[in-house]
Amino acid sequence: MEQSKKMASRNSIIFALLYGVTYLPAVWLLKYRVFGQPISIIIALVPVITFSIFIFKLIKAFSVMDEVKQRVQLEAVIIGFSLTAMLIMILFLLSLMDISNAGWFGYANLLCFCWLFYFIGWFISKRKYGV
Amino acid sequence: MKNTIKVERARKNWTQEDLAREIGISRQSVNSIETGKFVPSTVLALKMSKVFGVNVELIFQLDEQDW
Repeated sequence: MEQSKKMASRNSIIFALLYGVTYLPAVWLLKYRVFGQPISIIIALVPVITFSIFIFKLIKAFSVMDEVKQRVQLEAVIIGFSLTAMLIMILFLLSLMDISNAGWFGYANLLCFCWLFYFIGWFISKRKYGV
Repeated sequence: MKNTIKVERARKNWTQEDLAREIGISRQSVNSIETGKFVPSTVLALKMSKVFGVNVELIFQLDEQDW
């Protein structure tokens, strides 16, 4: 049981890294338009596939965690989701007044903020439960 | 919710690691429960009562503030 828990956790980390490894080159290739549009679409789909597998592995790892760690993850996701939703709402309201900065709050940055908020939530929750 | 996990552990001469192994959770989780930061589920509480060989009410008691 303990072995399968470790294996599930390791798998989710491996696929997180695999997602990162596919995402960053895809961004570079698409930004500098190295290939034509049909191949670029395929390149854009590769990180989506690795991300889907990562999420699948993460959910599997979540299901074998003990209940304290599940609570930590749940609270991290809630905090991350709430802060991301709040940021998007603020950006939308500001955009109605034509106040926006694409350099800081473009799609790519929003993705980073989303992960940042998740890790903030994780840190808060870990401290709360002392794990 | 207060608990007597530390007392029961001492009675068995178990470390947190030993208890964690017996009930299939991590040592950090045992620490979180023992220090009252996390209230365990009924299943986990019953597992603890089984490995300690005492009634669950003896390990976990409601605080006045729980009412």
